[in-house]
Amino acid sequence: MCCLGGCISLPQSDALRENPPRDLPPRVELTQVPFHPQDDFLCGPASLAMVFNAAGISSANVESVTPLVYLPGRQGSLQAEMLGATRRVGLVAYPLAPKLEDVLREIAAGRPVVVLLNLALKLVPVWHYAVIVGYDLEKREVIVRSAKKPRDEWSFGFLEFFWQESGYWSMLALPPGRLPATAREADTAVAVAALEQAGRRTEARESYRALLERWPDNLIGLIGLGNVEYGLKDLPASERAFRRASESHPKSAVAFNNLAHVLAELGRLADAEAAARAAVALEGPTLPEARNTLEAILARRKR
Amino acid sequence: MSMSFVRLISRLLVVCLIGLPFQVSAGMIGTDQAVSAAQAQAARALVGSQISRADVAGQLQSLGLTPQAAKDRVAALTDSEVATLAGQIQSLPAGADGTALVVIILIGVLIWWLVK
Repeated sequence: MCCLGGCISLPQSDALRENPPRDLPPRVELTQVPFHPQDDFLCGPASLAMVFNAAGISSANVESVTPLVYLPGRQGSLQAEMLGATRRVGLVAYPLAPKLEDVLREIAAGRPVVVLLNLALKLVPVWHYAVIVGYDLEKREVIVRSAKKPRDEWSFGFLEFFWQESGYWSMLALPPGRLPATAREADTAVAVAALEQAGRRTEARESYRALLERWPDNLIGLIGLGNVEYGLKDLPASERAFRRASESHPKSAVAFNNLAHVLAELGRLADAEAAARAAVALEGPTLPEARNTLEAILARRKR
Repeated sequence: MSMSFVRLISRLLVVCLIGLPFQVSAGMIGTDQAVSAAQAQAARALVGSQISRADVAGQLQSLGLTPQAAKDRVAALTDSEVATLAGQIQSLPAGADGTALVVIILIGVLIWWLVK
């Protein structure tokens, strides 16, 4: 029994008991998050359906989400695909830091959180997704929608016991243009770029703008915004973004290359050539593209 | 160089470009390259990351997805997610089942009681 006691450590629950966050509301419950009961093996689609609904996609349900994320050969859903599916419906998929306190902060900001739990043993895991929709700091509990139970109360310790095994993995599904309450700059930039990568340009544009409002010099944000504006055919907006990028990051060959490309398309060939030359001069891994851009511009200028 | 040869080459180039995954436009550098640079990853050849994507799509197919579904799902993943999945799809966590929870809760309560 002593070994068992010594083997189990719940550091985050202990920390929250000793130092409960004073700036959080003592109780929050997101009662408006609908419940989707899961059928066998479909906790991934069920969890996503709930957070998609909460993010404004009211039509999402287990049936519509299953083909985006369920993997028959594994009889379950992979974490990366949970993120991918979120992007495919036009939401930002944001993996949180591995901290219960961050989960509580997101709940307090009105966002339900999907968590990955191992309900069994390290060697013989039973993985399961559930959705946290509330907490009570005094009772030291979270409120959970899971499997067939629309509302369950788990102590922080109980949650942590099963959540540790996944490395405290959790994710948000955010509407475009919204940032997490616990947003960190680099992670937010990567998350929005991933939305762009998944082809959701309009949504990515909104989220890049939100990112840049908070972190105006973020290079991924500026390049990303320039690229999506270009893809959405707003060349002047694209030029502005790349110009900002080149000014705040004068060593970014990507910024200069893409600026050159947009300027050329706007017919401003002299400016385009100058930007392209700057890109080439900066060398780096994108040198081949920069050279191509310069050559294309010079060819046009000769005509 | 004859015109028909030039046309043939042009058509081949167009086909190759269409076959590539999400790209901004020829000449523009995609945001993913800015991400790679920011994450201090060594520059990956475009071909290399494409091979990984094709690889992962193949593995998803062998796990029950149609070729199109596999392709669409891989397209929604970042390069680093694809790299993580490649070769590990069989062993990575796949969240599935909460019905074991009832039994687990009983065990958990027992452990909890012992620890208290």
